[in-house]
Amino acid sequence: MHSRRRVLSVMALVLFGGGAAVRATDPAGFTVPVTYYKLSNGLRVVLSPDTTAPTVVTALYYRIGFRVEPKDRTGFAHLFEHMMFQGSQNLGKMEFIRLVQENGGVLNGSTRFDFTNYFELLPSNKLETALWAEADRMKGLAITDANLKNQQGVVGNEVKVNVINQPYGGFPWLWMPQYANTNWYNAHNFYGDLKDIEAAKLAEVEAFFKTYYAPNNAALAIVGDFDPAQAKAMVEKYFGGIAASKLPPTPDLAEPRQEKEKNAMRKDALANRPALAFAYHMPPRNSPEYYAMGLLDQMLVHGDDSLLYQELVKKRGFTGDVSGGINADLGDMFDYSGPMLWTASLIHDAAAKPEQILAAVDSVMAGLESASPDQKLLDRSLTKIRSSLYDSMTQFGGFGRANLLACFALFDDDPAKINSVEAEFRKVTPQIIQRTAREYLRKTNRTVLIIEPGASGEAPKKEGQQ
Amino acid sequence: MRIAAGLILFAVTLPLIPATKETPPQGPPPKPFRLPATDDFTLPNGMKVTIVPYGVVPKVAIRAFVRAGAVDESPSQVWLSKLNAQMMKEGTTTRSAEQVARAAAEMGGQLEMDASWDFTSAGGVVLSDSGPQFVELLADVLQNALLPASEVSRLKADLGRDLAVEKTQPNSLARERFLQVVFPGHPYGRVFPSESQLKDYTVDDVKVFYGKNFKAARTHLYIAGKLDSGLRQAVQKAFSGWNKGDEPPELRAHPVSARSLQVIDRPGAAQSTLYMGLPVPDPTSADYIALDVMDALLGGSFASRITANIREQKGYTYSPFSQIGTRAHQAFWLQVADVTTAVTGPSLKEIFYEVDRLRKEAPPEQELKGIQNYLAGIFILKNTVSPDALIGQLHFVDSQGLERSYLSTYVQKVVAVTPQDIQRVTETYLVPSKMTIVVVGDTSKIADQLKPYQNATP
Repeated sequence: MHSRRRVLSVMALVLFGGGAAVRATDPAGFTVPVTYYKLSNGLRVVLSPDTTAPTVVTALYYRIGFRVEPKDRTGFAHLFEHMMFQGSQNLGKMEFIRLVQENGGVLNGSTRFDFTNYFELLPSNKLETALWAEADRMKGLAITDANLKNQQGVVGNEVKVNVINQPYGGFPWLWMPQYANTNWYNAHNFYGDLKDIEAAKLAEVEAFFKTYYAPNNAALAIVGDFDPAQAKAMVEKYFGGIAASKLPPTPDLAEPRQEKEKNAMRKDALANRPALAFAYHMPPRNSPEYYAMGLLDQMLVHGDDSLLYQELVKKRGFTGDVSGGINADLGDMFDYSGPMLWTASLIHDAAAKPEQILAAVDSVMAGLESASPDQKLLDRSLTKIRSSLYDSMTQFGGFGRANLLACFALFDDDPAKINSVEAEFRKVTPQIIQRTAREYLRKTNRTVLIIEPGASGEAPKKEGQQ
Repeated sequence: MRIAAGLILFAVTLPLIPATKETPPQGPPPKPFRLPATDDFTLPNGMKVTIVPYGVVPKVAIRAFVRAGAVDESPSQVWLSKLNAQMMKEGTTTRSAEQVARAAAEMGGQLEMDASWDFTSAGGVVLSDSGPQFVELLADVLQNALLPASEVSRLKADLGRDLAVEKTQPNSLARERFLQVVFPGHPYGRVFPSESQLKDYTVDDVKVFYGKNFKAARTHLYIAGKLDSGLRQAVQKAFSGWNKGDEPPELRAHPVSARSLQVIDRPGAAQSTLYMGLPVPDPTSADYIALDVMDALLGGSFASRITANIREQKGYTYSPFSQIGTRAHQAFWLQVADVTTAVTGPSLKEIFYEVDRLRKEAPPEQELKGIQNYLAGIFILKNTVSPDALIGQLHFVDSQGLERSYLSTYVQKVVAVTPQDIQRVTETYLVPSKMTIVVVGDTSKIADQLKPYQNATP
């Protein structure tokens, strides 16, 4: 790594990513350089140089996700994300997008359970341009009713193209949390009802901005080919003067322990094959059981060697693909902070009944509950975890690395965790895995969601009738 | 109404902009970007190999492209290449399917097989220290696939289910019709098999397809990533015994350029799915790079004209995009958008408006410059965003029969494109009266809106 030259600034708390402790957990000898500090206004900054290519990722994460949005405004956090592209003090509508594009980069924003992020991937000489632009919109928005109306139309179309006009549109990612969770914050429609989206007012957008879009509620990660000392100076120059805000208390997100299996069924008029998803509440983040679930996740549903693939696809022929994971479809096991589900799903033929499929699932889970996994299976899961961590570190030109660093900064105040997390998986014993399977993969902790083809009120078509 | 999006927005936001707007900092000059040097060689049996170092994270992508795609299917064999690709995951003469899956997982990856238009790709991304072992595993799969009869009916049922699901998706329906119309009588126009066709495939069909097409001279193996030693030797050892095979035949397509409006009824649809476009010169053409730049300016980027118009100004749609689709020695320009049903006609009107505007007027220098900068930057990303992205770039150039210098000279050629070039290629190639328009939507609500687009002169 080339980041040995580090300059300590007055406000900096610097954590070194390298060192013996990391090497011990990493046989291949790869460590992510991590420099972490906070500005006096509370902005968390993570620098991670990488000279693979002359590019740089600038990623700004705000700790406001779709769980926490006004109760009569479902989908508001996401609508708001769109408004962040509609104009700030020095950049009018379309100008932010043009600025990034004309400098040879790409950008995006996304809204997730516990954060909303904005990022740019640019040639490395344009880091300052990106920092200036992100700081500009952190300072304040300059948007109009016309912009809001326009984006209400765009978001309405987004919901239509991804959910309303698609077979299996919200399956299982949008719908499952609504059935499995009981706390409104975890169980409402995150994409939003169209009428709520259309009802949003400009004043609400401004209030939301004032409440959550402050430096002390954000983490900035920079990954790529840059000089850390120069980057620090630029971050201070553009973000240092932005005032911190008083943040509202986080609402109680807790989910009660589930004591009884839940079953839900939805009709899907656009689908022509039934589908099935099953989800279990996760152990608390960072507990030994959480890391055990990370390994169980690998054992169960990742790769053709996985237990559910072997049982449901290969042996029983119910489906061609069973997919899932922790925070499936919206992230990974690291980029959230709060209650979460482990979910798996499949599309099957009408000839296979949900009871049969669930019985096969039960047999797999029973195996994990009745005996601790053999060492070979455990080792393979550890290898898969390590390999997938490396993938995250390279994903999309360093964006995957920025995502982990920003989330570990926001949720754990410890982005160097990127280098120690693998060791946590290695601490998991076969006994912890079995204990975790018994408590968390128990049937009474499960929610089953069935999709039946056909309009509501209409009986599902039989396979033989076609 | 026909005022450029930027002007209207400027007028709206002007009162809110402070008197002294800051200018964005430009940053220092760019660091030079050079493509990583490749190690290219050909085995005596004709298999081509490219090995290229990339990045610091200890993973390596290993992928073989075998000329065994839809182009190698007869009209009665649509998706046979896909069935074959799935069958090839079902074990080798010395390893069971589960052994293959476990071995790949122990290397930190899995065996990925995918059949597309011109190629079947086979490979995976594994931990660097397992690279040579994965080469051996992949060689075994490619040369000694078992193709067990016992798995055929299950895999056909899986493909049948995939097919059924595809047929419910508006984008799949639109894509199928568009390609049927543009590539009649050619495998590129045969997107989906019929259910009964799929049911009729036998293990012998698969064995014949595999036996004919999976040969060394039809294969190019790419390896990119953090490279451990021993890869070159592993490749030579594992693949030298593979049969050479015959040169693949070339089946020229004769794409259709004629106005046709194709409407697929989807009662109650909340949106209309639009696919519209026409054949354009392929990547070997002298005009291809100008077309590429034109596409980015017109509809192929977030700040492009069509996106600015129908998304950011009108709010008709969420993710409109245009692209130049390529097949071996073929290309077509395509604009896609899912638009709210009530504005189906107005969306077409705006798209054609933007096409016509660019056909008549060369774009302003500054707008073009922005797009050229964008493509120059994106070029770095395309080559570096992941090892697989780099492989994709090299495979594109090699499979189109271009020189590798296409990549090293790409940026300078992009920068050399003039506003007049843009106007000329738009006028020459994006002829509205030659475009196929496919609309998947609720006919009862959109029929009237579509009437003006029935004929060649809207």
